[in-house]
Amino acid sequence: MPTLLPPKQYTAKLADKTVYNPKFERYSFELTEPNKLEFTAGQYVSMAITNEGHRRSWSIASSPEVDHGFELLIDPKPMGIGTKYLQNLKLGDEVKLLAPLGQFVIDDSGVEQAIVFVATGVGVTPFRAMILDLLQLKNDKREITLHWGLRHVEEMIWQDEFQELAQNYKNFHFHPVISKASPEWPLCRGRVTDCLSIHELPANAGYYLCGRETMIEDVTNLLTTKSVARERIHREKFY
Amino acid sequence: MTDGVVRDQNGNLSKQIGKYKVSVIREKCIAAASCVAIAPGVFKLDEEQIATVISQDGNDDETKLLAAQSCPTAAIVVIDTTTGKQVWPLIE
Ligand SMILES: Cc1cc2nc3c(=O)[nH]c(=O)nc-3n(C[C@H](O)[C@H](O)[C@H](O)COP(=O)(O)OP(=O)(O)OC[C@H]3O[C@@H](n4cnc5c(N)ncnc54)[C@H](O)[C@@H]3O)c2cc1C
Ligand code: SF4
Repeated sequence: MPTLLPPKQYTAKLADKTVYNPKFERYSFELTEPNKLEFTAGQYVSMAITNEGHRRSWSIASSPEVDHGFELLIDPKPMGIGTKYLQNLKLGDEVKLLAPLGQFVIDDSGVEQAIVFVATGVGVTPFRAMILDLLQLKNDKREITLHWGLRHVEEMIWQDEFQELAQNYKNFHFHPVISKASPEWPLCRGRVTDCLSIHELPANAGYYLCGRETMIEDVTNLLTTKSVARERIHREKFY
Repeated sequence: MTDGVVRDQNGNLSKQIGKYKVSVIREKCIAAASCVAIAPGVFKLDEEQIATVISQDGNDDETKLLAAQSCPTAAIVVIDTTTGKQVWPLIE
């Protein structure tokens, strides 16, 4: 694992907000104090959301290249105090956070000969940071594949960006998987495990799983039955 | 003893380093490791990748509380030893 920096307390201001659709909202923050955040792609922030000490963890969606701010991608469905806190922020409002946190980062031991990302829903968030980092900053030449499970095709965001990356970097492959796909949907349908089952799963790849616990367990079981060692399976459970 | 004053092994009176006692509910821990990053003197991940308490005095009370509040699953319980009351998670 790469050396991870200890977390620091930051203040930041909401700089931009996009409601893509009922499934995804993006929040973009500019740091105020300190004004630079160094993090490793895959890490998250812990934001203070009440005066009583409640906090919520959100993965950083933006590339580590951007060190003066960071982006979050939120699934508003839980609609608990964390979601409401973000939704009630106005542009320019200040937030307090601790960052960087987490150990869900790309293994740098040189053992993993390819990288396979598996996400459902908002679990794609840390993978966007990792993919931008691997392709654009590190010029990583390994085969990198993103399997991303969503319920409806209308929910999908960032497809233009992922498709453009796949065109510009021949080693990057984007596999959206739609569970409630219309008959016209040309790509994988069903659950991410269905998509994974029909693709080659090399034992020397690193597998990074993020999202809902049940998906993480299902994919872990599938991979272990395909002889992938447990040390090669990296997991970040959002809920 | 009051005000955190305790008697050490030799019987001398000394000030207790902190008043907060932390513990980890193992079943809740998802190994996100924020506690280890925030309070490395108090928490570490064991062989099963579950957080354990290595020392109650490795970090100050404020840092221990922050580590508990940053735990995504509220797996860390903080007790104020001077009152016996649970400080975190808040009892609503
Ligand atoms: C390391 C880490 C990183 C995370 N990164 C992100 C992220 O990048 N984006 C993001 O949206 N969330 C992320 N989460 C989840 C996030 O921390 C909150 O749990 C989520 O935003 C809900 O908070 P809330 O206060 O609105 O609801 P709460 O009241 O805290 O949650 C209500 C219930 O919803 C569950 N839940 C949480 N997320 C979902 C979901 N997407 N779909 C269905 N149920 C859910 C919770 O487990 C809980 O049982 C992450 C969690 C962890 C541990
Ligand atoms: S922060 Fe919570 S979930 Fe993460 S390692 Fe510590 S106790 Fe476990």
